[in-house]
Amino acid sequence: MLEIRNLHATVGGKAILKGLDLKVAAGEVHAIMGPNGSGKSTLASVIAGREGYEVTAGEVLYKGRNLLELEPEERACEGIFLAFQYPVEIPGVNNTYFLRAALNAQRKYRGEPELDSMQFLKLVREKLAILHISDDLMHRAVNEGFSGGEKKRNEIFQMAVLEPALAILDETDSGLDIDALKLVAEGVNRQRSAERSMIVVTHYQRLLDYIVPDRVHVLSEGRIVASGGADLALKLEEQGYTWLEQGGIQPLAEATQPSAAARSTARKVTASP
Amino acid sequence: MTTLAEKWTEALAATTPSPAPTWLRELRDKAGMQFRAGGLPHRKVEAWKYTPLRVLEGFELAPPVPAQSPAPARTAGRAMDVPAPLCERAAVIDICDGATVDLPVNLPEGVRVMPLAEGLERFEERLRPLFEAVELGGATRAFTALNTALAQQGLVVHVARARNAGPDAGRLLLRWYFSPGAAAAMHHFRVFLLLDDGARLDLVEQFMYAWGSERGGTGSTAAGLNLLCQAELGAGAVLEHTRVQAESEQAVLLTSTTLEQAADSRYTYRGFDLGASLARHELTTRLRGRGAVADIAGAWVLDGQRHADNHVCVEHLAPGCRSEQFFRGVLGGRSRGVFNGRALIRPGADGSSVRQSNANLLLSPLAEMDTKPELEIYADEVEASHGATVGQLDEAAVFYLRSRGLGAAAARRMLTSAFCRTVTDRVKGRGLAERIAELMDAAMPEAEL
Repeated sequence: MLEIRNLHATVGGKAILKGLDLKVAAGEVHAIMGPNGSGKSTLASVIAGREGYEVTAGEVLYKGRNLLELEPEERACEGIFLAFQYPVEIPGVNNTYFLRAALNAQRKYRGEPELDSMQFLKLVREKLAILHISDDLMHRAVNEGFSGGEKKRNEIFQMAVLEPALAILDETDSGLDIDALKLVAEGVNRQRSAERSMIVVTHYQRLLDYIVPDRVHVLSEGRIVASGGADLALKLEEQGYTWLEQGGIQPLAEATQPSAAARSTARKVTASP
Repeated sequence: MTTLAEKWTEALAATTPSPAPTWLRELRDKAGMQFRAGGLPHRKVEAWKYTPLRVLEGFELAPPVPAQSPAPARTAGRAMDVPAPLCERAAVIDICDGATVDLPVNLPEGVRVMPLAEGLERFEERLRPLFEAVELGGATRAFTALNTALAQQGLVVHVARARNAGPDAGRLLLRWYFSPGAAAAMHHFRVFLLLDDGARLDLVEQFMYAWGSERGGTGSTAAGLNLLCQAELGAGAVLEHTRVQAESEQAVLLTSTTLEQAADSRYTYRGFDLGASLARHELTTRLRGRGAVADIAGAWVLDGQRHADNHVCVEHLAPGCRSEQFFRGVLGGRSRGVFNGRALIRPGADGSSVRQSNANLLLSPLAEMDTKPELEIYADEVEASHGATVGQLDEAAVFYLRSRGLGAAAARRMLTSAFCRTVTDRVKGRGLAERIAELMDAAMPEAEL
């Protein structure tokens, strides 16, 4: 589904990603964890095509195509969805109107017939019911005056309607209390399928109690320094991120069978101090 | 070389006075003298600093239309396209070239509409103080002075408390337009709205053209209207005022609306500037009685070389009153917008609540917006907020829409349109709100930034 090779990216001239490798197969859920400033959100932004992020080296292949040459809207139409860490408030644009315009733009791109308002409403009702979201959300302007939890649920709802092949959840847990977190996680879990891949970017392990990933990667200073199964997240929770700075990668790396690339990076990290 | 002011002064001297009560004839003479002394506003007149009047060069002063004569459009018997009414189920009053064409028969309950001459007979004691309250001195007041001197045509709308005047009681639509092919002239007209205690009026005004090209470019000639409107809201009266200006590129509209609000009265204004060469609206309301509310909102969407100027002033004179000024603007091409929003809380107007907000989007490097909030507070326990911004589209929002599959141009259009929908959403009546939103989208300039 997605293959990232040796990705280097800068923001405002500052190098953030410094040789990142990642491979996500169809149907897999990968978690990217790491301390603040490690490059998690930059990775999400680069995949979605946000302006201001310059790729200086490496490549990103999506379904075998060069993703980086596509405009953000083309990426969306090709099935990539970014759930924003900070969903943007858009006063004056009705949620239903916006989502229908987006869905129809995507359907048009794919050569599918556009949905009229009746067909769209039917679809929306189905998705709302599945996610247990009240339809009050649909009558309001996009994210305007929404609580933190409502904004994140609205992202997951949009994802449910747009049915992407690859969803990137950027810190979807930030700012949520435990009840809101459970609701959001449940919404995400309902959308897991053999065709849909997900990349869950998070600072904290607690989201992964509810969205259990197939793989966990630890990002530090723009590289993946460790990879493993869901239990890697638990170890991180116990030990925190400070061990990264202390060069304590060794025991974890051994414990979790990192990929070849991560192993070589790990050596570099251990060697540096 | 004769200046425009001199030319107009000569025209003013040549007008024949029409029959009117003595006090009014004297007032008209006085206004004429004030104009002669003050001349036209220029750059150094603060209230007109950002609104040059170059576009008026070449305009004649239209001679007053005698109070009793029918409108020219009717006399000529010429077939002419009249702009479609902006809203349905409204009693329509047509005012063409500054003269009333027709008065409607089916008026909402409690509403009476009459020509100014008749109004002066019936309501002289209420109209005289309103006439005399208008400031006439100095270049700042040049157009109110001209209006006072020249507007013999006018309308008086009297609204009594109606038994069944719920929120859905009928609408009154004032349909303003110019006849095609007329010489470039400035017309004058006067409107009085008298709302008794507990009365209710839903007033819609449209300034639109029906001839020429889509955008009023070709086939239209310059025409101007200097309109003075004064409203008196009795205790608990409600005036819903919607004003849509989508005039041709040659039209000039200078309007002054002044209201006096008694206790617990409510004034709602929704104004839209989508056209004209030059449009200026001075909107002033005085909250004189406790608990009065002024809920004022508007938008301008300007392209080409259009110029729209909104001068809003809310004066709080009694305690416990509430006012809001909410304005949004989108400017493209070489257009220019001016907003001056003033809120004045007089001593004793304790516990007032004042909100003011003006945000603008510039879509072209040559468009210009001059915005100035003015908040003056001389009372206690006043809750006040204000903010004014001029900027470009929020790129984070553009990216958000694009990340969902909308193309860059579509995303920008959706956002600019949404920017002003925060105002159309406040328009009462879904049909009318939608119609205005459509007109607004049609007027929307292309983004060049």
